Amino acid sequence: MTRRRSIWLVARRELVERGTSRGFLISVAISVALIVGAVFLPTLIGGASRQHLGIAGPAPAALPAALVTAAKGADLTLTVDTVPDQASGEARLLDGSLDALLVIPADGSTPQYVVKSRGNPLLQQLVVAGFTRPPDITLRELEAPDPGRDTAFAFANVGVILLFIAIFTFGSWVLTGVVEEKQSRVVEIVLSTVAPRDLLIGKVFGIGLLGIAQLVVMVAVGLGLGIALHRFDLPSTTPSAVGMVLLWFVLGYLFYSTAMATLGALASRMEEATNASSPISFIAIGAYLFALIVALNDPSGTAARIATFIPPVAPMVVPLRAALGAIEPWEIVLSATLMVISIWVLFVLGGRVYSGALLQTGARMRLRDAWRASSKG
Amino acid sequence: MLEIHDLTKTYGPVVALDGASFSVRPGRLVGFLGRNGAGKTTTMRAVFGLIEPDRGSITWRGKPIDRDDRLRFGYMPEQRGLYPRMKVADQLAYFGELHGLQAAPARVAASRWLDGLGLTDRAGSKLETLSHGNQQRVQLGAALVHDPELLVLDEPFSGLDPIGIDTMSTILRQRAAAGVSVIFSSHQLDLVEDVCEDVVIIESGRIVAAGAIDELRAASTRRHLEVEVVGNANQWLDGRADLTVEETRDDFARLAVPADVDLGALLARASAAGPVRRFAFQPPTLSELFMEVVGS
Repeated sequence: MTRRRSIWLVARRELVERGTSRGFLISVAISVALIVGAVFLPTLIGGASRQHLGIAGPAPAALPAALVTAAKGADLTLTVDTVPDQASGEARLLDGSLDALLVIPADGSTPQYVVKSRGNPLLQQLVVAGFTRPPDITLRELEAPDPGRDTAFAFANVGVILLFIAIFTFGSWVLTGVVEEKQSRVVEIVLSTVAPRDLLIGKVFGIGLLGIAQLVVMVAVGLGLGIALHRFDLPSTTPSAVGMVLLWFVLGYLFYSTAMATLGALASRMEEATNASSPISFIAIGAYLFALIVALNDPSGTAARIATFIPPVAPMVVPLRAALGAIEPWEIVLSATLMVISIWVLFVLGGRVYSGALLQTGARMRLRDAWRASSKG
Repeated sequence: MLEIHDLTKTYGPVVALDGASFSVRPGRLVGFLGRNGAGKTTTMRAVFGLIEPDRGSITWRGKPIDRDDRLRFGYMPEQRGLYPRMKVADQLAYFGELHGLQAAPARVAASRWLDGLGLTDRAGSKLETLSHGNQQRVQLGAALVHDPELLVLDEPFSGLDPIGIDTMSTILRQRAAAGVSVIFSSHQLDLVEDVCEDVVIIESGRIVAAGAIDELRAASTRRHLEVEVVGNANQWLDGRADLTVEETRDDFARLAVPADVDLGALLARASAAGPVRRFAFQPPTLSELFMEVVGS
């Protein structure tokens, strides 16, 4: 029998047994619910509930008070400021201290409603309604509207969250699977026909396929709902962004699941496994927070660029930078190459520890002992 | 034939195996005996490549064992275990496939063995829902599902009830009769004497006795002599310091004697004391033999 068939048999068992387990179905259901929530949530909240409107020019004296009252009726807290002229009003729009500007020309020509970009639709309705004949006001945006930009930002955001959930969930499954086989002692029979490395590869491969399946479902549901409900238009970069998420799921998952399997093999019982793998969990959570807090705000910054080449962090930073269009192709290639090399090194080192630790029961093993116990390097 | 030659393995300061050599012939049922920690499990794990010996060789049919050979071996480790949440039939079919069977023949073999083990009605149940005894049966099925040519079982009888012991011995005898080489370890020496033809006794990593049980018993320098002289109350034994009396009851006496004792002289002496109703000269039991070679 070939090694490939052994690996496939192990992978197929993981696929069938876990794919039909309640745990997997619940995991898919929860992730779909999260995606649906993420698509609907902005609608429910309805954007910012505080708005700051500036008025330039001779407005009717009662207008500000009327607007505030009307806004209150629509659950919108509105502050109205008078600004000296259109230029200073627009300056304040750009620096963000105003959300919208109503310009009423002294010569009686058509008033203008100005926003920086994509203003609050509710406020716009209120202001326009304040004029008896709506066409009497023109709308203008200071910055050319870029529908792709907000969506790209949202995609980057959601992409990182999905990646983290997927890598962490399925990495933990590999950990659980390793410890279960050790705890139930079935591993000794399995190892009488399958080499330890092949068992590890098969397990990681089978659970990884489930991970990809879940990720594909999540992305498809999210994009499908978004389009169907006109929440966003797909930016032209969508296929490559989805491709990046899948590629970096595979890389990140291989990296983290191998690390977790290695440390998990040192434990004899489930309770110990969580402790044994906690260093990896800390690194994963740290990488996730770094991506969401630092890299998302400044995707081209020095910190994000350095993180691109640090294997444990790269799986969350690279797809995020790519979704925001803030990464050079050579950076992606170099980062992915480093990732593949580090996975291979981790696999060689971790595979040896895994082999050495599988048949040891009793107290939790130390890394060094497991390394020595492995006779086959 | 499985041949183990000069097998040596140390774990730090602990010598697990110290030049152990023995063989298991096709169609023979071999009991592998030894105290806890004598090296039985280490030897069995070495056969399956689960540990790498420091020295020595293990061959199957005259050649070093490779991966394909191991697929035709069946193993029941001391630490029992299967997948708790996997269905019984799926589990056996999986192990069949891991041993090189294709999917369909593995299914057929699984249901054949479940039938043989009386578990057909539990084929679709998760393992963890089965009773302890039934889980043991499935464990045996996992070692047998691919019809192995060599069967290695570590303590297969431990934890079995009398019915389970009977099922297990029947199946092991059948396998040996079918030409399979079978070796199993056990501490139940009477059972081994009953079931096996050959034994291998290991002590501190060294083989201290190996061969057919009958021959080993015959080769012992010790014998038991059971004598019953009617109405004599064992007075005929008085003054015989060269005889070790193990047990006396009424007219019955059980003696430990050297194998080369002059039986004719003893019988003549007993007959002189009265009518001899019993005069039995026997080699030691396996238990006694074990204590003799292993006892400190």
